[in-house]
Amino acid sequence: MGLRERLVRFATACPHVFVVTVPGATRTRLLLEAELRRRRGRPVASPAAATTLVVCGTPGPELGTAVDTVWSGIPAPRALVRLEETASAEEVAAALDRAARELADVPAQWAAAAARSREGPWAPGGDGEHDHMSGHGHGGHEHGMEPPMGLAMAGRADDRDGLKLDVLHVPLGPALKDWPAGLVLRLTLQGDIVQDAEAGVARGRGGGASFWDEPWLRAAAGERVPEGEAERRRAASHLDSVGRLLAVAGWENAADRARGLRDDVLAARSAKVLAVRFAGFARRTRQSRTLRWMLRDVGGIDRAMADRHGLAGPEARHLGDVFDRLSGWLDDTGAALARADSTAPLEGTGGPRGPVGSRAAAPVLDVLPELLGGAELAAARLIVAGLDPDLDRLAEPAEAPGE
Amino acid sequence: MSDGAPVGAAVALPLVLAGLAYSAAVMDAAFRTGDGPAAPLRESVLLLLRQRRRTLASDVPLVRIGVISLPVAALLAAAVIPLDGGPGGSRVWNLPVSVVWFNAMEVVAWASLWLAGWGANSAFPLVGGYRFLAQGLAYELPHMFALITASLGAGSLDFGAIAAAQDEVWFAVWMPVAFAVYLLSALAMAFWGPMEHPVADDLGGGAAAELSGPDRLLFFAGRLALVAVAAAAAVPLFLGGGAGPWLPGWAWTLIKTVAVLALLVWLRGRWPVIRMDRFMTAAWAVLIPAALLQALVVGVVVLD
Repeated sequence: MGLRERLVRFATACPHVFVVTVPGATRTRLLLEAELRRRRGRPVASPAAATTLVVCGTPGPELGTAVDTVWSGIPAPRALVRLEETASAEEVAAALDRAARELADVPAQWAAAAARSREGPWAPGGDGEHDHMSGHGHGGHEHGMEPPMGLAMAGRADDRDGLKLDVLHVPLGPALKDWPAGLVLRLTLQGDIVQDAEAGVARGRGGGASFWDEPWLRAAAGERVPEGEAERRRAASHLDSVGRLLAVAGWENAADRARGLRDDVLAARSAKVLAVRFAGFARRTRQSRTLRWMLRDVGGIDRAMADRHGLAGPEARHLGDVFDRLSGWLDDTGAALARADSTAPLEGTGGPRGPVGSRAAAPVLDVLPELLGGAELAAARLIVAGLDPDLDRLAEPAEAPGE
Repeated sequence: MSDGAPVGAAVALPLVLAGLAYSAAVMDAAFRTGDGPAAPLRESVLLLLRQRRRTLASDVPLVRIGVISLPVAALLAAAVIPLDGGPGGSRVWNLPVSVVWFNAMEVVAWASLWLAGWGANSAFPLVGGYRFLAQGLAYELPHMFALITASLGAGSLDFGAIAAAQDEVWFAVWMPVAFAVYLLSALAMAFWGPMEHPVADDLGGGAAAELSGPDRLLFFAGRLALVAVAAAAAVPLFLGGGAGPWLPGWAWTLIKTVAVLALLVWLRGRWPVIRMDRFMTAAWAVLIPAALLQALVVGVVVLD
């Protein structure tokens, strides 16, 4: 083994993974996150920081373009892993092993890197719209300058204070860390203020039902499902959302704790132990004055707004701002954990993200533009994470004509 | 360098700073993920081995200046910090207004982040740059008042004289507000921990989102060096410099520096990120008046 190869092996021992999740592949994502934790790796926030791109699920056309863009943004050495919706834990581990071997294949990586640097920097294709990292074309020089490299310059418009400011069109998602799978927000930004937002869904090809609703769907299909299993799923679903929100709020330690709890809840650990651990976590999270200070009055939803858009999930029960919704998730998780050992047959359709079988994510997509208008970009990300729409529910093949 | 500055110190300074920055990285890895002392080395080797990537129509010189100026500013700031406390203590550059120089070097970080964020020609780094400008507006005035308060207590703008003025009682004890404000603004100046909004993950890494390979390494090493310098400056400013029983001055300086550094690193995992649209009000309505009151109290005591 050469020195370079040994160095690369040493350097890539903890995988730096950029994860793109397709709607309907939540289960695969959870397996991947658990495996990454075992390997002391972690998901990274930008392609520039990643060595490995992992695609969970089978992307449709729009997501496929996003995956290509991210892939082209990862510097060498790099590896690409594609995981199916139905991948097992062993398959996930094997795929990451294969990626580690590819990264350490020095001659192949060096040749590929040389070929890429001959091609020059990535350039936007037909529309460049799917490039989530590059809001190219900003700058405010309208007169007296040639457009650099033939790129169009940003236009200007009045901002909320009546000042003329550059207008940027920046899509958020579908390839973004701690972001609902498949969500695409087309933002119109002035500075870092969202002037306008349009929500869309980038679908997968795999279809399949929502992972979080699965026990209720099986019960509806006539199978006898113990209530405890469904309640564990509910608790895990909320902990997943909580972890995502805390990560977006920049509290990585607390987010890791939420995700650790989530995985242990799903792994059928003793409910008593989990309830104690969760109580400590929930207390610390709720009592954080800084968190409260940062989440208060962000993305407020009142009864009238909830009714107007027909919100049906937890966000309709826990009205208020993002902190209220976080609090509501924690309440619901505690209640679900209290019933995690119940063996009574599951009844009803009250899934974690709203009534099972309904399209509870659609009203959330409707309400997003209204909530995001005028928000600062960081607040916009908190608002999205605070609603955490489960687009797996919109991913059913019947809802995806023409893809 | 300047008269009487030991050549040894000039050679040792970059090594000491690099050592402190590395120890900060090790502590960060240990506190947050439980990784061993090799984790930062792994990361550094990986970044050195990686290809540099460029965004379309990026302004490469600007990005390079932004990236390189971070560790350089940290090193230049460290040059005026006395290694063993006391006036005339060994340091690389014996400047009578060393506090002013230190503060000026910190402000270079504003340019660094803005240049790196602007030069990438990409939306997220640009917004990360905006965020740091807002952060600068919020933290810089309280920070300067904290520095001025310590200088006022000693009647000097020289780190050595300030350390020497704390023979009887540390400034941290009788100017606690100034010390607290200093620590908070040190986090903001090094965009570290709860103040890392300009490079936060919610924007894919903000100002650093498009940096890869050696650029990324220099940028983040520079940030750690800034944290280390901020910790090192707290020692002569508020913690009595190299004063202490039994051990020589340099050992006490080092021990105190590592203690402050450990505190700053540990704080990183304790809080969510603080956004400037919220913090600005607190900075101007609470921190600045509190820092001014502290300066007033110190001024009255000194005049007596």
